[in-house]
Amino acid sequence: MAGTGSSTIVDSDMMQFAPLIILLPMLAFPVILFLGRVFNRNPFWKDTMKEGGIIALVVMAASLIVSLLVIKDHLGGFAGIKDSIDFLWLNSAVYDGGSLEPITFGFGIYIDHITVMLLFIASFLCLLINIFSIGYMNTDPINDNRNHRFYAEFVLFCSGMLGMVLADSFLWLFIFWEIMGLCSYLLIGFYYEKPSAAYAAKKAFLTTRVGDVFLMIGLVMMWDLFGSLDYSVVFDEANIAAVAAESSGTLQWALGMMFIGAVGKSAQFPLHVWLPDAMEGPTPVSALIHAATMVNAGLYLVARMFPFFGSEYLQNDLVDLAFIIALIGGITAVMAAAIAFVQHDLKKVLAYSTMSQLAYIFTGLGCAMFLANTLDWHNDDDAHYIVIIAFGAALFHLFNHAMAKGMLFMASGSVIHEVHHAHHHLHHHDHHDEGHHDDHHGHDDHHDDDFDAQSMENMGGLASKMPLTATAMLVGSASIMGLPFIGGFWSKEGIIANAWRVALEDPRFFLPAICVLIGAGMTGFYMSRMWLKTFAGKPKTEVAAHVGPTNTWIKIPLFVLTFVSLSAVLFAGMGFTHWAPDSEYGLMSEKSLIDGIVYEINHAFANSDTFFFILTYIAIAIGAILGPGIALSLYGGELASGEKVKPWMKPIIRLNAWVFDRFNFDNQSVANSGLSKALENRLYFDHYYDMAMLKLVAGFSDKSAETDKNVVDGVIKKIESGSQSISKVVRSLTTGSARDYILMVSVGALAIFFLLWGVA
Amino acid sequence: MSTVSNVEPFKDGFIEALCPELILFAGLILLIIVPNLGKGTVRIPGTQKRVMWLLGGDRFKLTSNPRLPAWIATVTLGAAFVQTILSFQDGVDRTAIVTASGKQLMLVNGFSRVFELIFFGALTLAAFASMNRLEVRGVGPKLSTDDLYNNRRQADFYILMLTCGLGMSVVALAQDLFVLFIGLELASFSTYVLVAFYKETEAGTEAGMKYFIVGSVASGVGLYGLSMLYLWAGSLQFDALASQFIINGTDPLPLIAMGFVIVGFGFKVSAAPFHFAAPDAYAGASSPIAGILATASKAMGIIGLLRMLLIVAAPEASEDGTVWLTLLGVLALVTMTWGNIAALGSTNPKRMLAYSSVAHAGYMLAAITAIGAWNWDDSLAGDGGESAVAVLTALIFHLVVLVAFKLGAFLVLSILESDGDASRLSSLGGLAKREPFLAVAMFIFMISLAGVPPLAGFVSKLLVIMGIVKVAVGQMGAEIMAGGDFGLGDVHWVWWLAFAMVINSAISMYYYLRIGIVMFFDEAEEGRTGPLPRGWQVRFAVLACLMATLFMGVASDKLLEICEVAAQSLNYGWN
Repeated sequence: MAGTGSSTIVDSDMMQFAPLIILLPMLAFPVILFLGRVFNRNPFWKDTMKEGGIIALVVMAASLIVSLLVIKDHLGGFAGIKDSIDFLWLNSAVYDGGSLEPITFGFGIYIDHITVMLLFIASFLCLLINIFSIGYMNTDPINDNRNHRFYAEFVLFCSGMLGMVLADSFLWLFIFWEIMGLCSYLLIGFYYEKPSAAYAAKKAFLTTRVGDVFLMIGLVMMWDLFGSLDYSVVFDEANIAAVAAESSGTLQWALGMMFIGAVGKSAQFPLHVWLPDAMEGPTPVSALIHAATMVNAGLYLVARMFPFFGSEYLQNDLVDLAFIIALIGGITAVMAAAIAFVQHDLKKVLAYSTMSQLAYIFTGLGCAMFLANTLDWHNDDDAHYIVIIAFGAALFHLFNHAMAKGMLFMASGSVIHEVHHAHHHLHHHDHHDEGHHDDHHGHDDHHDDDFDAQSMENMGGLASKMPLTATAMLVGSASIMGLPFIGGFWSKEGIIANAWRVALEDPRFFLPAICVLIGAGMTGFYMSRMWLKTFAGKPKTEVAAHVGPTNTWIKIPLFVLTFVSLSAVLFAGMGFTHWAPDSEYGLMSEKSLIDGIVYEINHAFANSDTFFFILTYIAIAIGAILGPGIALSLYGGELASGEKVKPWMKPIIRLNAWVFDRFNFDNQSVANSGLSKALENRLYFDHYYDMAMLKLVAGFSDKSAETDKNVVDGVIKKIESGSQSISKVVRSLTTGSARDYILMVSVGALAIFFLLWGVA
Repeated sequence: MSTVSNVEPFKDGFIEALCPELILFAGLILLIIVPNLGKGTVRIPGTQKRVMWLLGGDRFKLTSNPRLPAWIATVTLGAAFVQTILSFQDGVDRTAIVTASGKQLMLVNGFSRVFELIFFGALTLAAFASMNRLEVRGVGPKLSTDDLYNNRRQADFYILMLTCGLGMSVVALAQDLFVLFIGLELASFSTYVLVAFYKETEAGTEAGMKYFIVGSVASGVGLYGLSMLYLWAGSLQFDALASQFIINGTDPLPLIAMGFVIVGFGFKVSAAPFHFAAPDAYAGASSPIAGILATASKAMGIIGLLRMLLIVAAPEASEDGTVWLTLLGVLALVTMTWGNIAALGSTNPKRMLAYSSVAHAGYMLAAITAIGAWNWDDSLAGDGGESAVAVLTALIFHLVVLVAFKLGAFLVLSILESDGDASRLSSLGGLAKREPFLAVAMFIFMISLAGVPPLAGFVSKLLVIMGIVKVAVGQMGAEIMAGGDFGLGDVHWVWWLAFAMVINSAISMYYYLRIGIVMFFDEAEEGRTGPLPRGWQVRFAVLACLMATLFMGVASDKLLEICEVAAQSLNYGWN
């Protein structure tokens, strides 16, 4: 066993179990697949084991428990904790006389504050989504007898995500990254018999592949610079100093290439086109991949680069990259929010919202990286504080967004599930006399009969019929919008404030700073629009009037996540808002919980700096009043008569009815404008990408195929037929007669004799 | 390294030292006696009294069952195998079996133990898997002559397996060419009969006969070489021969003698051009036996070559490379190329595997060539034989893991054989539909043979190639790493053997993958669409092979350690 680099094995009992977090789901993958094949259609397997759902549940729960124990061990502080558990594949190098470098292929666990954050998010949400899946997937006849495939891919995906978070080198990060990419392809294309799903899967795979190629190039460059991809080596200050002295420009390029990989994975402009289409997958997949875990991988990768930005030896060298990160974030935040304005599909709104919110985090990271890169934060306490709250805000927004968006997707799944069931219920009544009816439509299926269970045009007024779902959706939306005291508020304000802080330092940053501020208002609009169109107003179709409540499996995660989003202030008080890689303290080590909360509230609402004090209220005004206000006047309205809602939703419905009655205006001219059309067509990105593909790639492919067929295959066929005839000649010497064999032995003996004779 | 403790036969320590062999011997006696146990009586001479003496007569139900010898053989071989593994646990002691006058006959050390591991492992699997091959026609006291004969014949089959194992382990232990020859012939004669045992096809008998004739010629030539060596040195002890070789190893007589001995062993490892009987034998023998020929029997031949070339005509004995270096290099090149090219067009899976086995022999010969060249570079001479040990370790590792995937492949064919026959490529057709497990297993065996990561075959091939390259590059390696510039002209020519191995591996992909295509994409032959014959034993053996192939690919360090111990203990001059 060879340790990697200078990693220190921390004396922590739980660390030895940390690989289980990855291994358990990974081992469950073949098990579920195998059992699913063997026991397909077996009633026990189907009803009690939920076609593998229970197995997945057990391993994910175990994974979460181990994760929590590992996290608990590290809560005290993170400085320099780089636990490595090495596993060597080929130790052939042991037999080298020292003249060749050993080939080692070690795997280690690396824990720092970013790991802890992502580990908790991933393992926690994976479990909740697993619970949700049992309620969602197993109740739909279209999934019957093939849910085991879903759960198998699900656990493998989770294993990939957890592995990526825990890995101790960029190489392993890349490996798990690709495992996730594969599972994402498989899961999006779960309904592979549907052409649109197959296309979406392919699109997601290929688009992220573009980013992955750059990521790989970046990794190769980094290997070239450092001679290793282990965190313990590349994050080592001495190594960074050596690289910085010679080629800090190359390093910036390497990091930039890796950032493109992150752009692809996190669906940022211009590699964002795959995410909306990926909604073709089953809703749990959308929640898992496109909200809670995989899209965060890109953010994680960028956050992982912090040691470079924060290094004393690279000070001011990486400013351009930090700007690009923030800029890409700013552009995507506004663009995706604008597209979300006009989407009718519930899940597509959430998809664009995801892009937009991830863009916020990118902006936040970019700004934090800028601050870390320009300020002398190692020595100056004030600068240090600025950097850690900037970085903390971005990471905390990642946390809030993952929790809220996971919940929103699951709530939307719950809505779609019930709308779909209601539709079928009605449908059955309509066609009672037809005798038999083909029931094989999925929730996520666009029906032959034009009814779209995902379209908000078919919903409305569901607040009274699905109270928990409506509440969850409300809290989730509020969290994303950044309504004061709820979820994302605590982090979003920080991101906006930091963007402006940076903009004051470097005027280039005004662009992203303005983007995120406007984006806050846009978020307020489209999230409100979504909620109002779905839950408020009168039912727009007969189906929506017959929707019933959801099942328990679906309710559990909604309930838990509603609580998490509402209590975000607790997490903020625990110190989630100011984490930084070098901090020697962890959570809860600075202040008590109460002090922390008081501090956060104070910091958010009564900032001592006048500039930020005003900025906070501008942001609240735009995000929490202006945006939602416009939405209130355009959508929703009074519920159908006789419908009752839970008391906490009453004021909103009343407010909506009041605003809607008085201020509703005709927006047809806006809705019919060219911009609106362009937004509905997603700003023609897909169109142009497809055209480019068709012209460039397809043309190149055709040529390549031709060359391959004529030249390459031709040569190979020649070689093949040639070697076949040689083979025939050679084999014809094997005559089958022992006499000939003995002759050949004698010939060989003679040849040996002469060869030795020559030597002698 | 511990010192040698001498043990005289049947004195203290003898049983401990030769425990696996004695287990085999006990099993052998049991196998001969047990099937004959019955209600036989004997008349006390001069009286009318008949006394039960349990031998002969109507058999008991248990002892008449032909499965019984199969189980006895499997358990015996398995026990010997486990015993061998256990002996590694607390380091292998060097124990020599000496005559009263102090001459070493056998030496128990890491080297011989590892080879015993190969022999017993392969034979256990083959014996276990053969249980399904030979059908049980009748059990009980009253049997027709035919059934009795069939049962008797099955006992013979397993007796031959045990004698084969015994002979092989004697070869591994031998410290004297004569002892080695005895063991070799014991094992060879057993395999000749085992090949001919497959009487259900005409090819079986014919193949056995041919294998016997050609094998006898090769043995005769080898024996002739041995007698010349004795004439020259006055002894067949390895030590004595080696010390003679240092003094006047370039005399014509020992050189000619060594050439003849190489012919003898070359036949055993099926090196070209002595391999001709092998494809016939493999194709004619029942598949488990063919698997034994390709793994255990081959390892036995390699032992002979290693002893002869690395101990007797030791590389360090001569100043500018060894006398046999060119010879072996040519042999290796011809063998691997011939095997691969012949396999390319072969449409009989068993012949294909036979040729592939010839190609693998070529790889092994290339490794031995590299060991012969290890001290070509003056600067390397000081490395205490490390590079030689590295190559030898790789070679031994290759032989060990070969048991897993080569024998495994033959066992899959064995199941097909009991379904009808497996002599055409198309008989594998549609296997993926008929029995997916077997198809997947076979495919994994094939790509492991081809050397695809992360399977055992990849690791072994990589280690061999790396070892050869390391020897060829010698001390230049460090300088190249430090930025030095060297051309191909600077390296030793054994580098080209590694190159040839890589090329040959690429060629071999063609025929290995073709098996996969046939299994997964082609339709089954007419009338062979149903499920395959049952039998859990052979499937269990296939599963064991599969597990080993996968496991040794990813977690090979324990086994490599053992192989390194073995490699070091071949020649103590290297330490």
